[in-house]
Amino acid sequence: MQNEAQAPEIRPEIAEVHALTSSKMSGLVGNEQGNSVNTEGVTCCSPGTSTEHEVRVVSGQPSITTRGRGRDLHGALDAASSAAMRAALPREAVLTLAEMVQLTRRLHDLDEPVGRLRIGIVHTYTSETLDPYLQFEARLQGLDADLYHAPYGVTLQEAENGSGLRKRQPDLTLLLLRWEDLHPSMASPLGSLSGHDRTGLAADLTNAALRLTQAFRNSVAGHIVLTLLPPMTGPGLGLYDPSAPNSEAAWRGNVKAALSNRLAAEIASATFLDLDEMVAEMGRRHCFDARWWYTARFPFTPEAARELARRVIAVGTVLKRPRAKVIALDADNTLWGGGVGEEGVTGIALGPDYPGNVYVAFQRRLLDYQQRGFLLAMCSKNNLADVLEVLQQHPHQILRKEHFAAMRVNWESKSANLRSLAEELNLGIDSFIFVDDSDHECLAIRQSLPEVEIIQVPSRPLEIPGCLDRVARLEILNLTAEDRRRTEMYGQERKRHQLAEAATDVAGYLRSLGMRMRIALDDRRQVPRVAQLTQKTNQFNLTTRRYTEAEIRGFVDAPDWLVAHFSLTDVFGDSGVVGVILTRQTAPSEAEIDTLLMSCRVIGRRAESAFFETVLTVLRDRGVRTVTAYFVPTAKNQLAAQFLPDHGFLRHDNGRYTRDLNLPAPEASRDLPIDVTLEGLELKKKDVREPA
Amino acid sequence: MSVNLHERVREVVATTFGVNPRVVTESTRQEDLKNWDSLGHVNLMVAIEGAFDVVLEPEDLSMLTSVPAIVTYLEAQEPPL
Repeated sequence: MQNEAQAPEIRPEIAEVHALTSSKMSGLVGNEQGNSVNTEGVTCCSPGTSTEHEVRVVSGQPSITTRGRGRDLHGALDAASSAAMRAALPREAVLTLAEMVQLTRRLHDLDEPVGRLRIGIVHTYTSETLDPYLQFEARLQGLDADLYHAPYGVTLQEAENGSGLRKRQPDLTLLLLRWEDLHPSMASPLGSLSGHDRTGLAADLTNAALRLTQAFRNSVAGHIVLTLLPPMTGPGLGLYDPSAPNSEAAWRGNVKAALSNRLAAEIASATFLDLDEMVAEMGRRHCFDARWWYTARFPFTPEAARELARRVIAVGTVLKRPRAKVIALDADNTLWGGGVGEEGVTGIALGPDYPGNVYVAFQRRLLDYQQRGFLLAMCSKNNLADVLEVLQQHPHQILRKEHFAAMRVNWESKSANLRSLAEELNLGIDSFIFVDDSDHECLAIRQSLPEVEIIQVPSRPLEIPGCLDRVARLEILNLTAEDRRRTEMYGQERKRHQLAEAATDVAGYLRSLGMRMRIALDDRRQVPRVAQLTQKTNQFNLTTRRYTEAEIRGFVDAPDWLVAHFSLTDVFGDSGVVGVILTRQTAPSEAEIDTLLMSCRVIGRRAESAFFETVLTVLRDRGVRTVTAYFVPTAKNQLAAQFLPDHGFLRHDNGRYTRDLNLPAPEASRDLPIDVTLEGLELKKKDVREPA
Repeated sequence: MSVNLHERVREVVATTFGVNPRVVTESTRQEDLKNWDSLGHVNLMVAIEGAFDVVLEPEDLSMLTSVPAIVTYLEAQEPPL
């Protein structure tokens, strides 16, 4: 490959290629005259340039295919939708740059993007060259990338007032830095430093990276992604490095761990994206290309550029697309090879030998996704008894019944079963990822439930264990205690359902649950979970306002805001934090409910009433007499439409409701079968200033 | 052979810079296309390598700044394209 090409000597005139580096984007998309659409250094893919796309190269015209690679992309180019194109693209296809640009255009023409992703890039090496890769990967996720590159080599200045970055307020600020930028000592051999100096350098580097990230945190609202360019050569001590007390690899690993831990703990909505992970996956020789590095200060091969783009866009996808929550799995030829109906429990491929071992590996991998907080569900056309026999008795089956939050094993259509799973789990259908080997089933779901993301299980068994590894929506940016225990909580919920079905009256059933509610006020430790709930909760949500961790932390600190959350324990277990109220005191005797939301898994237990009435009591004790609230209808929150009228609120114009706290509590809030404790009353002495 | 090569090079140039293929002629040079700046040049070279399966050396990069120069370079490759 080209990586083997050496750059023996750099002639001055070639080095000038880099000297011309400007703050402008490389502008891969322009208008017909060949002029980039260039406004203040930003070129973006403008949807208005349709005339150009009509003459674009499509199949039938000579296509830009690679000599000798023996494949073409007509299948992908002929696709009728971006979802169909994703399915038609060869899984591990190495695309040439021209092919990628062609496919980006085609995706651009096929359907409207579902969202726009503004990315601001602060860089100390050439980054403009990444644009076609970022555009392509964004389009594959249905997003239109709007890219801005800070002037070359400028870092801290971009966090200051009046900078291009501040003006644009990107959704995602990408910091492409080098170790050398954080500390000048990184330019010399690490082996030359004493142990003491290396420890000091590690601390200095971490602090410098945190200071820089904090400066951007203070000036831009979106998510921040910090990266460090991995070293392009092996450790200074070569083969001996791991044995050396001053091992460079071990030292770098420690610095990264300290840096990413502190970043997560100290700076809201900031992520350390470890590019060493990309190097580990691709290999150093396939990641870096000396020719572009020494002539244009661009380090990456095209394959690495695309891989970096894919990882960055995965972060953007998690930020901008609906959250995935459920992996709905087919059984035959997905969890095991062959059909259990025809071949029987002993006949399916599942076990230590090929191909059974790839299915074992895939099931093992699915447990990793469960640890990330995704629910596993089964959606299979089979006899339930056959499938249960595998789950309960097959010696090599890893996923047992308790690993599935819900199962539909029957002969109904899979779209009906997905809808019914969504209903049982109380989740939107757009939170489902459907995994199935059948062309027919995948096509049927694509047509009947376009909101569902479809992953077709590869026909080549070797590719099955990794078939979800590159699904952007299965990445996570944080992990709460609730995420890790989610499946268990759904199991508890099933037991509650069974008890409820056996009970003769609702009140008796609720009392038998022995519910205890713990409400906490202004609790800093739960800021990530509270922010997560505002971002994820769609159904029981009065106003559906989404907040970042930084915003929630601001509310916790603000004297006029109250941030309340609750968790609920019953005989079956602990729900974790499942409900949030945010209120703002607008005058000494008036408060407004900014947000009231509750996770659907505690619906139907009168928890919302107990929580709400307790928080109103806190407000009344602080002198509030009138509470204002709003119901802002969305496509999904009908469940909360009756909450305010049912809880003593009077309706006014424009969706505004008020309640007089001097009046007795409404009927909905009496005789609640829940024992409530309240924490954090003293945490913040409310000091409400008179309104200006 | 050479006409075909010309056409393919023009197409790669047009695709890389997002311009109408008619804008790129047999004599188009770097200064004729606004997007063909120093960084655009890196991506054009990457695109040429991918499309024609060649490996360019740093010494080549600064010379391949026009359609005729790229065509001449590719014609000189063994085996001939």
